[in-house]
Amino acid sequence: MELVKKTILTMLILLLAGTMAFAGGQQGSSDGAGEKVKLVFTSWRTEDIDRMNRINAEFTKQHPDIVIDFQPVKDTEYDAQLKQSLAAGVGADIIFLRSYDSGYQIYKTDSLMELNSMLPELKDFPSAAVAAWATPDKVSYAIPAAGVVHGVYYRKSIFDKYGLKVPATWDEFMKVCETLKTGGETVFAQGTKDNWMLYEVMYSGLGANFYGGEEARQALMSKEARFTDANFVLAMEKMKELQPYFPERFEGIDYVTMQQIFGTGNAAMFMGGSWEIGIFEDLGGLDDVGYFAPPLANKGDTLQYCFHVDAGIGFNKNTKYPEELKVYMKWLASSEYAQLYMNELPGFFSYTPGSYTLTNDLAKQMQSYVAKSVPTVRTVWEKLSAQAPSGNELVGEAIQLMYADKATPEQACALVDDGLSWYYE
Amino acid sequence: MLQAQKKHARFLFMFIFPAFIIYTVFMLLPILNSMKYSLYSGDGLIPENFVGLDNYVKLFTEERYYSKFWNAFSNNIKFFLIVTFIQNILGFFMAVFVTRSFKGNKFMRKLSFLPTTLSVLVVGFIFKLILNPYYGVFDKVLEALGLGKYIIPWLGDPRSALIIVSIAVSWQFFGESVLFYSSGIDGIDDSILEAARIDGANIWHEIIHIILPSVLPIVGIVTILIFIGDFTQFDIVYAMTGYRGDPGYSTDLMGSLFYRTAFATTERGGWGTGMGATVATMMFIIVTVGVGILLAFFNRKKEEMLK
Repeated sequence: MELVKKTILTMLILLLAGTMAFAGGQQGSSDGAGEKVKLVFTSWRTEDIDRMNRINAEFTKQHPDIVIDFQPVKDTEYDAQLKQSLAAGVGADIIFLRSYDSGYQIYKTDSLMELNSMLPELKDFPSAAVAAWATPDKVSYAIPAAGVVHGVYYRKSIFDKYGLKVPATWDEFMKVCETLKTGGETVFAQGTKDNWMLYEVMYSGLGANFYGGEEARQALMSKEARFTDANFVLAMEKMKELQPYFPERFEGIDYVTMQQIFGTGNAAMFMGGSWEIGIFEDLGGLDDVGYFAPPLANKGDTLQYCFHVDAGIGFNKNTKYPEELKVYMKWLASSEYAQLYMNELPGFFSYTPGSYTLTNDLAKQMQSYVAKSVPTVRTVWEKLSAQAPSGNELVGEAIQLMYADKATPEQACALVDDGLSWYYE
Repeated sequence: MLQAQKKHARFLFMFIFPAFIIYTVFMLLPILNSMKYSLYSGDGLIPENFVGLDNYVKLFTEERYYSKFWNAFSNNIKFFLIVTFIQNILGFFMAVFVTRSFKGNKFMRKLSFLPTTLSVLVVGFIFKLILNPYYGVFDKVLEALGLGKYIIPWLGDPRSALIIVSIAVSWQFFGESVLFYSSGIDGIDDSILEAARIDGANIWHEIIHIILPSVLPIVGIVTILIFIGDFTQFDIVYAMTGYRGDPGYSTDLMGSLFYRTAFATTERGGWGTGMGATVATMMFIIVTVGVGILLAFFNRKKEEMLK
């Protein structure tokens, strides 16, 4: 008996000692990296690892003592992971931040550096972009890093087959759809299983020309307009007009499937975002892919172009290496980084002032519309999504219901307006 | 004697101690901590403003919260009923089948347990691929069988999505029920079955008069395990219909509701950590009360049977 007891006791002590040694070992290794300083950079773009590593290698060439370790987290996990890691004091040094309230919530946890005095360059950035990552008192907590646009991708070969031209107005767009449908083509690759696309790309992108773009968005935020107003309903009706051209059983088609359908040349058009260039390149190449901006309501109208503030870059206040981080921060705000970034990631547009050459044809086309347009961002992203239920979710849900024939366009708008009652209280 | 008992107790304590520490640190304390957070509100992962029972009041009085909560709750009940039906009834018959003596019964037993060894996420993604309306195999098979007119967007239609998700889970954990029931059937004394056969009992008589009464206590265990699993289920929804429980929250369960409300940003359906912890605490209460009710029910049944 005594022997058994002794054996067990020894085992327990060994186990405890082992655990402690293991924990201690981990602690030690993180500090012992040598003279080189490693800064951890996190983002929600797991598909960018190689590209970001190439960009950061350029930085390390100039600053051999600083290594940037790009560690992205899957988009849907990102926000939870970021919150957790910052709260636990193990957050990354360089942090991708979503625009407006989402990023602002992270700032409110007192984890981010304030940039106004550290980065005077910010005053030369477009003020609307800076405001997307600033407090109401104009304290900036992130560098506006990337914007994305929404429009329509098309297959050149399919358009050529029917002798179709890129439509400029909605009527022309509908005619193109009809011709393709009559010809037996899958007109759009669109499905409605993932409702965020319906709002972010379709309603905000293609609807903006009908609800009145930036002016209407501002009126909505200032409570002068409501989502049930005629212009917002009209945009909803236009979305409904697209339904006959969706593939069979579109309700079950998710985002990835849509990309695959279009990317492999099995649909004539895809309403998407500029971030998808890389995906289509990987799926089947870009030679056959064209792009046009959201069709205008009437000929001669000014394009209301959804140029969404997508990603800002913030900096962890509790970093171990504030000096090195500052060096990298300056570089991130430089036109050199912006050019490298746009070369590597076509479809993401930098806000950093400077003149740039775009290498990708689709990206060039996307940008060519900017000069003759009024830029805007996604309809209810700012302020109207600060609380639950968020405007973002409500619009997506409402459109999904409309496409499932469970709500008319008026009812869909009323659902959004009802859900936003917290904003009007 | 007393001395020996004391020694024995100390000896037992040494065995329990490591597990007790691990359980306390990794289970009990987080649960208590989560309950504490349900009394707080604020930004970030650790809410700092004490608000008493305010979060609970909000959860049950404000429509934006209670509509989602009761929706997830009722979905979860439907989910539980479907899974219980498939796993208990079909699992039972499968167990009867694999415990008969025929060539290959051992192999069948192993085969039925195979899906249980897979990860829930893998099962979810496989089902999603099979049911994909564009390139999924399932629709193609139906078409080949001339049943094309019955095809619907399985995971995109609110009428079918929850049923499909329930079937996927049942398919995976079906083997677990078979394992429980077949071990119950194995425990029946062969002489009883033989005597019945000599008396002219057929398979149905055997099932109704001998097998079913002997495995009845196992029904309780299986049902309780399914209940706990289903009311904390998250992975399958996440894999098949996303953390929003699409389409239109028709597959939103308590687990996905908790994940979304606690960890997503407000834009994506988050309610803040405080409210998330409130949902988690409610889940804890539902599971505890539910298990209590089920235990009492099955214990009473057992007593009735013993009388």
